[in-house]
Amino acid sequence: MTSELYLLGFGPEGWGPVLARAGLMTLAVSLSAFLLGTVLGTLTVWGRVSGNPVTRRIAETYVVVLRGIPDLLVIFLFYFGGRQVVSLVGTALGFEGPFDISGFVAGMLAIGLISGAGQSEVLRGAYQAVPKGTLEAGRVVGMSRWQLFRRVTAPQAMVTAIPGMGNQWQSVIKESALVSVTGLVETMRQVSIAAGTTQEHFLFYTAAAVIYLIITTLSDQVFRMLERRSMAGYAGGSH
Amino acid sequence: MTNNLPAVSVKGLHKSFGSHEVLKGIDLAAHDGDVISLIGASGSGKSTLLRCIPMLEIPNSGSISVGEAHITPRDGKLSRADERTARAIRRDLGFVFQNFNLWPHRTVLQNVVEAPMIVQRRNKAECRDEAMALLEKVGLSDKADAWPNQLSGGQQQRVAIARALAQKPRALLFDEPTSALDPELVGEVLKVMRDLADEGRTMIIVTHEMGFAREVSSRTIFLHQGLVEEDGTPEQVFGNAHSERCRAFLSGYFDRA
Ligand SMILES: Nc1ncnc2c1ncn2[C@@H]1O[C@H](COP(=O)(O)OP(=O)(O)O)[C@@H](O)[C@H]1O
Ligand SMILES: [Mg+2]
Repeated sequence: MTSELYLLGFGPEGWGPVLARAGLMTLAVSLSAFLLGTVLGTLTVWGRVSGNPVTRRIAETYVVVLRGIPDLLVIFLFYFGGRQVVSLVGTALGFEGPFDISGFVAGMLAIGLISGAGQSEVLRGAYQAVPKGTLEAGRVVGMSRWQLFRRVTAPQAMVTAIPGMGNQWQSVIKESALVSVTGLVETMRQVSIAAGTTQEHFLFYTAAAVIYLIITTLSDQVFRMLERRSMAGYAGGSH
Repeated sequence: MTNNLPAVSVKGLHKSFGSHEVLKGIDLAAHDGDVISLIGASGSGKSTLLRCIPMLEIPNSGSISVGEAHITPRDGKLSRADERTARAIRRDLGFVFQNFNLWPHRTVLQNVVEAPMIVQRRNKAECRDEAMALLEKVGLSDKADAWPNQLSGGQQQRVAIARALAQKPRALLFDEPTSALDPELVGEVLKVMRDLADEGRTMIIVTHEMGFAREVSSRTIFLHQGLVEEDGTPEQVFGNAHSERCRAFLSGYFDRA
């Protein structure tokens, strides 16, 4: 196998450049999905704690549904189902076909939706850990709901949430491999192509594992750094 | 300010938690410069009364005024317009909690500039200078860049007082400001409060520090089971209360001391 390592290189026959591009695609689709998930997760927590029974029911249903169905199914639903919906709507509006929905968008929406449910659990725990007295102190100086969220709740909840959010991010990276079923050329899809072409399955799937490990390890460092920074004021130490 | 409108006025205040009626019709007016101490047994409703003024608890009926701002909640609810008035009232009052409730993710200085800068949207440099002067006043200018949890309880409470003062409030409300402190730290907080009283600040203070209440306040109110049972000068309330219960309550204190 060692003799075949040149296949991973950046030479004329090397798959290096396409693998690197695929790694970046994994990162891009994961990052968009994660951020979408953060927005959805935050809205879900808000829906649950705002005291409005309708928003609470919607938020709870969302979490139950997304936790209860396979992730792959959600992706299929968005990619194939989404294409169907888009072409239906497109035809109805009088546009010419053919209609398509990109694997990137479908994957981002699907994984973002899945991750939002998971992130909402982390964020809810973090919200509940914010000392109630600090919220009263904010209300009593006349803060609006938004100011209270932005200045008091969110910064404190973030501290508690960071480790859990790190785990959610790792999940998103791994789930992003599922998006390969849409044909989006991210890491998983690219190594499958390379393995099929060269018949070096072991080599290329190992390379993929290394790519994922590089991304997750670097991410871990970033989250640790964020955690250290956000701890200012809590350890009673320096800042 | 020049007319005779009280700084803080409470009329016919009722507040229940579920079926438990905690305040049963309270009237109270604090004029500019008044220092009112609120005393009474634990559970008599002192905190609830104080918390109703900035609408941390919404009264079931009765009305609250702070200067020109006036709210009459119905059934323990605030209308949209009431919400706006409540925020105006809160901006106009400084509230000091028993447990300080500083924002742990902000430094001492950031805690003090938060309300004037973010809520009142005043000039940043100006807020900072004022905040430094206030920290100086409470004896903590060297702690401006410290984090709250690096400070003792007494220091945290002094920061909380500076934070309340930074709002330039019409009146200051204190809910047992020294009850969470180790005994040796009580004095430094009381000293700051005494200075504020001497400056002529309008203050309403829930306290169990009877010696302080007697010396510093201009009026003392004894609350019993959600009603004002005794209301007068400290000389009268501490020396010669009409109410049997008030005398018994106070003798319990002074016997212990
Ligand atoms: N948020 C609340 N929910 C239910 N009961 C409460 C609440 N706050 C206070 N109470 C009750 O109201 C009564 C008066 O409490 P409080 O105003 O804290 O008295 P004080 O400050 O004089 O000790 C007590 O019986 C207390 O248990
Ligand atoms: Mg109390």
